[in-house]
Amino acid sequence: MLRYLARRLLVLALTMVAASIVIFLLMSVVPGDPAQFMMGMNADPAALAALRAELGLDRPLLVRYLEWVGGLVIGDFGQSYTYRVSVSQLILDRIGLSLPLAFLALLLSVVIAIPAALFAAQRHNKAGDISVMGLSQIGIAVPNFWFAMLLVLLFSVTLRWFSAGGFPGWDAGFVPAMKALTLPAIALALPQASILARVLRSALLDTLGEDYIRTARAKGLSRGQALRRHAFRNALIPVLTIIGLQFSFLLAGAIIIENVFFLPGLGRLVFQGITQRDLIVVQSVVILLVFAVTLVTFLVDIAYAFIDPRLRRGTV
Amino acid sequence: MSGSAPILAVHDLSLSIGGTPILEEVGFDIPHGSIFGLVGESGSGKSLTAMSAMRLLPAGARLTGSIKLAGRELIGLPEDTMCHLRGNEIGMIFQEPMTALNPLHTIGQQVAETIRIHTDRSRKDALDTARETLARVGLPGDRFPLDRYPHELSGGQRQRVGIAIAVALKPKLLIADEPTTALDVTTQAQILQLLKTLVVEDGIGLMLITHDLAVVADMADRIGVMEAGRIVECAETTDLFQHTQHPYTQRLFAASRHVPKRRAYVPQQGDIPLLKVDNLVRDYRPNSLFSGKARTVRAVDDVSFAMFPGENVGLVGESGCGKSTLARALLGLEVVQGGQITLRGKPFAQPGKPPAADQRRLIQVVFQDPYGSFNPRHRVDRLVAEPLHLLNERPSDLERRRKVGAVLEAVGLAADVGKRFIHEFSGGQRQRIAIARALIVEPKLVILDEAVSALDVSIRAQILDLLADLSSRLSVSYLFISHDLSVVRAITDRLMVMRDGRIVEEGPTSDVFASPKHPYTAELLAAAPDLGSALLARGVDLDQISQLSLV
Repeated sequence: MLRYLARRLLVLALTMVAASIVIFLLMSVVPGDPAQFMMGMNADPAALAALRAELGLDRPLLVRYLEWVGGLVIGDFGQSYTYRVSVSQLILDRIGLSLPLAFLALLLSVVIAIPAALFAAQRHNKAGDISVMGLSQIGIAVPNFWFAMLLVLLFSVTLRWFSAGGFPGWDAGFVPAMKALTLPAIALALPQASILARVLRSALLDTLGEDYIRTARAKGLSRGQALRRHAFRNALIPVLTIIGLQFSFLLAGAIIIENVFFLPGLGRLVFQGITQRDLIVVQSVVILLVFAVTLVTFLVDIAYAFIDPRLRRGTV
Repeated sequence: MSGSAPILAVHDLSLSIGGTPILEEVGFDIPHGSIFGLVGESGSGKSLTAMSAMRLLPAGARLTGSIKLAGRELIGLPEDTMCHLRGNEIGMIFQEPMTALNPLHTIGQQVAETIRIHTDRSRKDALDTARETLARVGLPGDRFPLDRYPHELSGGQRQRVGIAIAVALKPKLLIADEPTTALDVTTQAQILQLLKTLVVEDGIGLMLITHDLAVVADMADRIGVMEAGRIVECAETTDLFQHTQHPYTQRLFAASRHVPKRRAYVPQQGDIPLLKVDNLVRDYRPNSLFSGKARTVRAVDDVSFAMFPGENVGLVGESGCGKSTLARALLGLEVVQGGQITLRGKPFAQPGKPPAADQRRLIQVVFQDPYGSFNPRHRVDRLVAEPLHLLNERPSDLERRRKVGAVLEAVGLAADVGKRFIHEFSGGQRQRIAIARALIVEPKLVILDEAVSALDVSIRAQILDLLADLSSRLSVSYLFISHDLSVVRAITDRLMVMRDGRIVEEGPTSDVFASPKHPYTAELLAAAPDLGSALLARGVDLDQISQLSLV
């Protein structure tokens, strides 16, 4: 098990190194000079050069890369060109919204998907199964920003249960903050839950065809018991991969939903960074997201070994 | 429940699935403490008869007739009552020990689950019973703790766990569906012995489903022979073999003892070996970043032998002994670490070097699985023509068509089947196509890797005839790899016995069978089910009957 962990950790570290190089190189070849952007098109060349020197943009690539990576390791992401504050502070503010939002959306999607998939798999090709599959088809097909607007219309405009947007911050208290995140989380969770339910259902149906399910039935388990006790954990293995991918997506991919609900999240931060050529913010958030993705993958790998004893062996 | 009623009484049982009749008027009784053997070829309805008794049938199944378990009618019982009976009063063991256990649960959990769902005993109590049951089936707790997972056990050990699951609650009836088909002969002998013991000690009725006449001849008190959903003949074991009535039983009987007519190889002075293998070594090194101390697995260990033109050689041994690795090395599919393979006096494969294409042509192969070894999207003519790329000169389209047609006819198929897809053929026909594919480049040696193991006895007899005929006509040699000793005996001149990567015994086939020199060979021969000796033990002289009933 330790060896398995060590191997996964090494993969994680190597991925981070490779990603940081790729991100840095990409950022240095994108068109648009941050200094030019900050001073305007008619800026004095001397002043521009001075600003570039101040921002460190005139030094060789390798030096800038090493400085950036060195800073990352100790949590110093550098100064934002446009906000003129430390990037780590910017990210910290935004992550306080994005992380709980992603967790909430993921939780919702799992809580919806698992019972739906179990329900459908148990009624394979019957009305219940067909309805769940139909609903999930709709869940995937409906654009989530549109669904978000419908939620706002119903719950904010008509029923007035939730505010239509904005985030009061965690300082305003847990309940108001959670209330502000509820509608966005539902909007984000719907397509994810639909995908997850479909994947879990087909994984369950696959495992239901396995010989050990027949053994379980021959022991005297009912179809439902065999499904829950024997098929479910086996079916979780492919599903975990999807959950890992979904979390990463939810963390970074919520830009549209953040815009619909006026939420100051990571997605909006990147979006603004790109439009304002605030490259240091963009590359910092991107590397952070890469880290989150690799970390989640690492956790999923560990969860595999936890679920499947065959992975634990062969690595001990 | 009446004490005198048989444990299982099946009468006029008919089954249809989606309107298609599967079983028709099946009937038999299984008394207490007796073994009922149900034999027949694949698709004859053996397994579905068992699943009908379990009432575990696919959707759309319609059962009529009567199935009585110790006097109680099972047909029409509600599902929850059946759930209570399954595992409690009827236990079942399946063919595939590798997949019949849940890989994520420990063996203790899986045995205890049977106990827990049928009784209100505590978890600890159930685990205690599980431990006792596992010890009873030959997995004592000190060597096989309850927290073992299935993947940590061998096939035979897993089958023992399967048996423990089935007998944990001492059921009245045990159904074993091909319980030893996937196992090696020595393991098979142990598992069959265990089943016998359980029948005697617990007085249960055992329904043993198998395609192997030798197994039922040894085990069963009564035998039912199934063909196309009917029991065509049902009698006491000795009666059945002595006075075989039904033509199908006679055919089955004849096919399972079939010895193809072939010209035996007569060694001649000065023959140049077709194939010569010297000190061949194949190592596997689990190779990875963190694997720690490299543990080398030697799959083929210093193997040397020679084969002469026209000679058929058998290679037997248990799974994992290195038979298939050796075959793959001979095909140039494995990189060998040491030794040399010489083909017709020329070096074939040397350490680290793949063989040349024109050499490779001379050795072809037929695999076991007639279903998995073809690309389902290609037509038969393309599948059969595939090895032609090994020829130095590519044949023209016309020539290729002619070759394909000729070789298909040689294996007993019509030349025009080439336009069809592989799924349109039966298992036996597919194996003929596989043989055609091997023969199209006119090889000198064909490796038959368990090539008839997946076939029913009657089809197997036909394929063996075909192979014998082709061998004489085309002067092809066979290296016949099999775990089935009776098949090897029927078709080879010389036999090699392999164990742990080494060839432990080698000699003329008849000599090895008559007087094995190595104790392992003796063990293997003793464990192999043999119809003749099983019947002899019951006082039936096989040679006498064979003259009477065999056509």
